Parts: sequence; structure tokens; C-alpha cells
Amino acid sequence: MRLRAAIFLTLGGLVTWGILHAQKPFLSYESTEDHAIAPLPPDWERQAEWTRGRLKYTSSTWEHPNGQNTGRYGWRTDYPLGDRHTLQGLLRLTRVDAKSVEQVVELDNSSDIYNWPFVYGVEVGHWSLNDEEADQMRDYLLRGGFFMTDDFHGTQEWDIFMQGMRKVFPRRSVVDIDNKDPIFHVVYDIDQRSRIPGAQFIYSGIPWEFDGFEPKFRAIYDDKGRVMVGICHNVDMGDAIEWSDDPQYPENYASLAYRISANYVLYDLTH
Amino acid sequence: MFEFLFKYPLSIYRQGTFIFLAGWPLWLMGLGVLVAAGVLGFLIWRQGSGSSRMGVVRRASVWVLQTALAFLLLFLIWHPALSVSTLKPQQNIVAVVIDDSTSMTTDDENSTRKEAAEKVLNGGLLKALQEKFQVRLYRMSDHAERIDKLEQLTAGATATHIGESLKQVAADASSLPIGAMILLSDGSDNTGGVDLETLSEIRRQRIPVHTIGLGRETMSRDVEISNVDVSARALPESRLGATVSFHQHGYTGQKAKITLREGSKVVASQDVTLKAEGTEQVETVLFNAGDAGVKTLEASIDPFPNEENPRNNRVTRLVNVDPRKPKILYMEGEPRWEFKFLRRAVEDDHTLHLYSILRTAPNKIYRQEQEDGKQGLTNINELKDGFPTKVEDLFGFDGLVFGSVDAPYLTKNQQDMVKQFVDRRGGGVLFLGGKDSLSDGGWAKSAAADILPTTLPERKNTYSFAGADVELTPEGRDSLITRIEEDPNKNVERWKKLPYIRTFQDPGDPKLGAVVLANFVPREGGGAKRPLLVTMNYGRGRTAIFATGGSWRWQMLQPLADMSHEMFYRQLLRWVVSDTPRHITGSTPKSLLADESHVKLRAEVRDKTYLPAGDATVEAHITGEGIPPEVVNMTPEPLEQGVYGADWTAPKAGSYYVEVVAKRAAEELGTDTFTFRREDGIAENFHVEQNRELLQKLSAETGGSYYKPADAQKLGKDINYSQAGITVRETRDLWDMPAIFLLFLGIRAAEWLLRRRWGVI
Repeated sequence: MRLRAAIFLTLGGLVTWGILHAQKPFLSYESTEDHAIAPLPPDWERQAEWTRGRLKYTSSTWEHPNGQNTGRYGWRTDYPLGDRHTLQGLLRLTRVDAKSVEQVVELDNSSDIYNWPFVYGVEVGHWSLNDEEADQMRDYLLRGGFFMTDDFHGTQEWDIFMQGMRKVFPRRSVVDIDNKDPIFHVVYDIDQRSRIPGAQFIYSGIPWEFDGFEPKFRAIYDDKGRVMVGICHNVDMGDAIEWSDDPQYPENYASLAYRISANYVLYDLTH
Repeated sequence: MFEFLFKYPLSIYRQGTFIFLAGWPLWLMGLGVLVAAGVLGFLIWRQGSGSSRMGVVRRASVWVLQTALAFLLLFLIWHPALSVSTLKPQQNIVAVVIDDSTSMTTDDENSTRKEAAEKVLNGGLLKALQEKFQVRLYRMSDHAERIDKLEQLTAGATATHIGESLKQVAADASSLPIGAMILLSDGSDNTGGVDLETLSEIRRQRIPVHTIGLGRETMSRDVEISNVDVSARALPESRLGATVSFHQHGYTGQKAKITLREGSKVVASQDVTLKAEGTEQVETVLFNAGDAGVKTLEASIDPFPNEENPRNNRVTRLVNVDPRKPKILYMEGEPRWEFKFLRRAVEDDHTLHLYSILRTAPNKIYRQEQEDGKQGLTNINELKDGFPTKVEDLFGFDGLVFGSVDAPYLTKNQQDMVKQFVDRRGGGVLFLGGKDSLSDGGWAKSAAADILPTTLPERKNTYSFAGADVELTPEGRDSLITRIEEDPNKNVERWKKLPYIRTFQDPGDPKLGAVVLANFVPREGGGAKRPLLVTMNYGRGRTAIFATGGSWRWQMLQPLADMSHEMFYRQLLRWVVSDTPRHITGSTPKSLLADESHVKLRAEVRDKTYLPAGDATVEAHITGEGIPPEVVNMTPEPLEQGVYGADWTAPKAGSYYVEVVAKRAAEELGTDTFTFRREDGIAENFHVEQNRELLQKLSAETGGSYYKPADAQKLGKDINYSQAGITVRETRDLWDMPAIFLLFLGIRAAEWLLRRRWGVI
């Protein structure tokens, strides 16, 4: 019995190891927003040089001041239509050989996330990183990964985001990106960056959320002066791109969001 | 034995001419043999026809034996003899050349070689020679010098140049009747042997050189470094390999340590197990070239306590660590992770200056420059029009990297320039795998197809987005490009443990002369093993294919501290550029002169477009320790366009620094520097075993003989036969040599034995 148990344990261990160390296949999750629902494109299985990682994280349980349920906010915001539009934009505007569907990745202590060196995280003002996840995020970024954040607004969401990032990098500064930084020039020269409001602007006409009146493009740099974490605060590029095919959403905001997204991807691939 | 059977030594047969003294025509002997054969045949046939015991075969056997006997008798009646030329007594000079180098002090158990030489000469040989000839004594070092008596030998000379010395003695023969030379030596020549020119010069004068070999042919307990091969030029902080060749006697299976030192600093060491007795063992010791400057590197094997000659356990080499920063242009056709991680891998390599052009959008490029860890273009106009269109601009780089770029993106002229970049410029080009690379990018039909190290497949769709494992080939195991672990065995294992590559591309089959350093094995689908990393030399340059765009996983999928991805790409890009020449390349065949003073200087001169410049004025500015600076004019080499040479003599031991300056009218074509070093008192420490092969070859080629000291007294007799000096022709009878008598007896005995066996006596 002991021998059989040992064999089962060993096999079980090998299977677990294999799962943890293998590159995970494409997985489709249910969208939490009706507008963001999108069918799989016909070429979703086509392999490509570049894939956009979409960070799946655990949402925090804090209660928002406006009384909304925090469960509404989370990693699936704008998913997957926002991702698919972004990827179509990249394919249309650049020579990046992008896969037409995103790859959902997790900080789950497996090696999967390292297969996707570019990860996009949304509504990170509602995330909750534990120490292990933070450790893996740090390791991922220092090995060469890039993390782009978007669609979180105001002081309180910033503070929640920073609680997580302080676990990742306790001593690295978050700085406003200088206009001369290549991240604003690698494909498009984007010297003027206006607000990019979310879809709520269509109904409310208010271009900001909470107390996030001023758009902020911030970053955490590595020791070589390269952006590791591109933090887009008080802007909602995800919505802008997701709603870019809606005639009611202003074209100038959508175009800017596409250009900034392209620049961030190209910056990562060149730095 | 030969002399007993054939009456005279073999040397006489070699020199002499075979003749018949009877003076009758040879056809008559032939006719006699035929008649004898006929008569004997008739008689034997008739005698045997009545006997049942003498069948056809037996009668034929008897006939053959008796006919042979008849031929032998006729041969003797014709009076065979040898015609030889012999030295006329008292009218010829015999030159006795005695090795006077320090290797003659080697103790061969009972006595030194110098003592053995004196014993041979004083044991009767010198006296025997003096009775018939005038004897001239010479002592030999790097030249021959006449001496009056043996007491003048010192065995203190620091070099042995046998060829040069014999040539000098032979030169005396043009005015003196030198009939023969006797060389007493261990054959330990510091120039690597006697060249063909010297041999033919001695042969022309028909002077036989008799050699007496001194010393043991193998040592009992010795380790000797026979060579150290290390690149004469290197980039700063390069990983270099010193290939140490050595052999040993008496220590098979024991452990030894190879140490590389720069001055007193140990730069590398490696433990080795000594292989079989006398076997040439080759070990490569890796070391870091360090900062720029000339490095005097000493390779040594720690002497064993009872080693007979510990002086041959160390060898010095010079390595010129060049402070230049080779420029590499990386052309990438699409933004992808391989581009990002390649650039990151080499960013801390301060010797590489990396430029890149990336096609970001259908009509946009993004230019970057990476030097000393700094990013950003120094010159805003650099490469603003994309890939260079002028030879001068492209040839300003030392290496090129093509990523996922389709060949038609370059014009036909640009493709041709890429080919010339390798062939004429001497640059290196690396092709990476990608969806627009190699076959899929149309490179098979491009003007640059010749330079590729593989014959690309005819088909498209050779690039796969699937994982593949990587394994080193035996060549990859020894290559510095793929060495990510110091220990070769650990390195092979390390490669096996690397994360799989995310993409691979079939590069086709390697061309003749290409070297496959690594293969990939697809993880799924049972695909066959195909070449991953292939290198090849082409023209003056070199090319490589790294058939993947997915090695970035080696960076992302391994711990942060792991440097294998960085090391691999740095070593690969350094290989691409480290041997790329400049407009002027100065060199010398030997950067270390061991007890030599003569040095050959060489310069290869190219113009601005790297075409050979045959009309340049080339000077070598030589400076050395304690000597005034000297300018040597270099002259064009007759058979090599754009190559200039000069001979120079290093007046004393020390390091010399040479700056080659080439001009064409007022235009300076460029400069280059190199170094060499003269060291005295070391050459005789090596090859102290008797080089019997050299001595035998020397005597055989000149009509002389090789003797062991114990047989040397025979020389007194053999030396008479020579075609040089004042000679007289003599004939020597051959009819009475024992071999003929024995043959006669043998034939008769054979017939008697056969008949006895058949019962027909």
C-alpha cells in the first residue's frame, strides 16, 4: 500500500508540476458587461509573435463611496471587446503580428505569466494583491515583463492600487512620465494628452470619475531607466477603445486611446 | 646483416651504379637463358615420361629450379659489379658539425649529450677520419661556427637551427672540397625542422650528411606543453579559450593543473587527468580577456616533484585586447519580443555598439542606438533613411543582424552590398528566424543567398509557432559561442535544461564548410531534429543562422539571476564582429619569438570601400624597450594584392609595439597596431627528446646514413663513398657476395628435398 501511495503521490506531483510549468491554453471567460460581449474572431486560433496578456486578479472587498457594489469592478471590465478592438487596432496601425484574442493570465505562482511579457490590467483601483502575488509580479517585471494599467480613477482607487504596488516595489518611485520619454513618441508623437473618459461620458457628459479630474500618465522605472509599469490614471482607454465603434462616443478620445495603446506596446517591444 | 649478405653497406648500393664487367651484350645472356631453359625442358620431359612418379607438375617444378640455376650461373659469368665514387684520401674535407645548444646538457641517465658526442668522436671516429681526410670541426647553434678542438664546445647556445647551420657549412663547399658532413645532434631544432629549400641546396651539392643521433627518444618522466593556441586579438572582457596542447611520459592517469597567468595574477585554471603515454592531449581553458591592452599570458602545467625537465611546462603568448567598439546594425522587420530581449541581453556589454532599425508600421521605422548602457541616438540623422544604401555607410559597421525582415524590403543593390559586406569587408552577419526570415522572407532567391550557411528550403511556411527543445552538437560543445557554463560537460547539461524556444524555423541543410552548433527538436508532432544555430566562414567574413524568434523564453522563464540568455547573445554577437578587420590589418606570423630575432611584418591594406589598395605607401613604426623608434618601409607582396610585407630584426629580448600606417598620396587610409615579443633562453627547453625522424630524414634525403652512437665507428668506413669533393670511380665485385652463394645452395637444396620427398633420387 505504501508503495502504491508513493507512486500515486509522485505521479500527482508530476502532473501538478507540469500544470504549473506549462504554458496555459487560451481560455474564454464570461463577460460581466453586456456591451463588452464579443464572439471569438474566426482567426482566434492563429498563433502570432505577440499576445496581449489580460491580468486576472482578486478584487478587493472595500465599499466604494458611491455605494456601488465593488463586485462590478474587476479584472473583466471591458472584457473581451475592449481587448479585441485594441488588437485589431494594433494589427491595423502597426507591424506587430498580434494574436486576435487576448490571453488571460494570473499571478498564480505557476510559470504561465512569464510566457506573456506584456500584461494589461484594468480597474486596478479595486485589486487586492497578496504577498505571493506581489512577489511574482516583481519577479515578472524584473525579468523583462511590462504591466500597463488603465481605468481607475480618483484618490481612493489610486490608494488601493498603490497598496498593491507597494508590495511589489516598496522603494521604487512612481513618477509622471516626461513628455520627451520615448513612450510618447515611439510610433506616434503624443505631446498633447487630453482626458479620455469612459463610456459614462455618453450619458453624463462628465469627463471624469470621482475626484480624478486630471489625467495622469505615470510610471515605475527599472534601474536602466525603462518603464516597467505604465500607469494610466484618471483615463479610461479601455472604454474608449471598446466603444470606438459607437457613433455616440467622441472619435478624438477613441483615436487618442488607440495611439497611446500602440505606443505603450511598441515601447515595451523596443525597450 | 645486410652488409654480411651483400658484402657492402646499403649506402654504397644507394650511391653506386650496377654494371656488368664482362662487356658482352645483355641480349646474349637472355638468349643463353632461353636456350638453357629449352634444353633443360626437353631433357626433364624425356627423363620423366617413363616414370609414374614424375608427373607434369613435378617435372615443371624441377624445370623452374634448374632454369633459375642456369640464369644464376650466366649472371655470374657476366661479372656483376657496383661502380661507386669514393673520396680521394687526403684530398677531401669532412665537416663535423656538433650541436652546441643547451639541450646537449640534458642528462640521459649516464651522461650528457655533449659528453656522448665527445665520447663518439674521441672513441676513434675522429682519428679514423683524420687519417683519410682533413677534418673541420663546427659547433652548431642558430648558425655554424668553426672551432679548432672539441674543448671549445660549451653546450651553452640558446637555439638550434640545423638547416641554417648546414646551409652555412655547405656554402664553404663552393670553395672547398667538402666530401661529407657528419652531424652530431639530438635533432632538437627550434625552427620546426629543416626546410625543403635547405635540403635541396645540400642535395644540389651532392654532399651526404651523416647523422649521429644523441639522447633518448622519449623522456621517462616529463610533461611538455607543445603549443598554446589563443587568439592574438580580442575585444575587452571577451571570453577566450586558450587551447593547450601537451604530452607526457611517466604520469599516465595522474592529475595535473593547467594555470593561465597574466603576470602574477591567475586568470584561470583547470584540473586535467593525463592521458596515455606520448599522446598529444588538448585542453581548452576559458578565461576573460579583461581590459584593453597587451596581455602577456603564461600557460603552465604545475611540474611534478620528480620531473626531469620542468622548464618545458610553461609557454607564453601575447593577446592584444583591442579597445575598439565594434558597431552592429540590427535590422528588424516587425516589433517582437526577440528584438526586445536581444537588445536587453547585450545592453551591458560595453564593447558592443548596437544600432537598430525597426519597422514599427508599414511606412515607419524606429531607430535606436545602444552604447555603454545608454540609449538614444547620438546623431539624430543616423540611419534616418533606413537600411544604408551606400557601401561606405554599410561598411562602417562590423556586423549585421537580420531579424524578421523579408529580402525584398532591401533593394537588389542593398542585398548585393550585404553579400559584399561579408565577402569583401570581412564583416559578420547573423540571420534570426522569423515569419519573414530565411525561406519565408524570400532570402533563398536574394542576391545574398550565397552567404547563408545553409541551403534554404524551396518551400514557404517554414516558421512554426510551436515549442522546441534545444541540444548542442559535439561542435557546439566545444564552441565559445554556446559556452554558458565553464565546464564543458555541465554546459551540455545546462543547454538541455534551458526552457524550450517558443518558435523555430527550418533553415534547410548546412552547406559544405558550415558548422552546426545546436539543433532543435520540436516538442509536438514528432518533427525531426533540425539545425538551430549554424555558422560558416564566407570570403573574409562569417555568417550565422539562429533559426528561432523565440529564445526570449530563456530570459523570461528562468530565474532573474540566470544569465544564460545574456551570455549566449553576447557571445554570439561578439563572434559576429570580433574578427571583422579594419581598413589596415597588421600582423606577424609569430607574436612570440623564442630565441629568434627575425620577424616578418605583414599588413593588409584596403581602401575606403575595402578594395585592396595596391598603390599605398605603408610604413611600420616600431618601438621597443630600450631601442630608438624605427620606421620600416613595407613593400607589396608579389602575389597578394593589397598585402605589404617587411623583414625586421628584433635587436634584443623584450616587447615590441608596431603601428602600421598606410597612405595613398595625401589620404591616410588608416592605421593598425600589433605587438610581438622576443624571449631568449627558452627554445632549448622544449623538444629535448632526440628527434630521430628529422635526423633520419636529413641523412636519407642527402645520401647519408643515420647512426646510433654505438654504431658510429662504422662511419669511418662508410664515409668514403660520396659524390661530393674530389672523388675517383671504383668498381666493387658482386659475384662473390655470400647472398649469391646462399641462393645457389638454396636452389640445389630445394630440388634435392623435392626429389627426396617424391622418391625419385
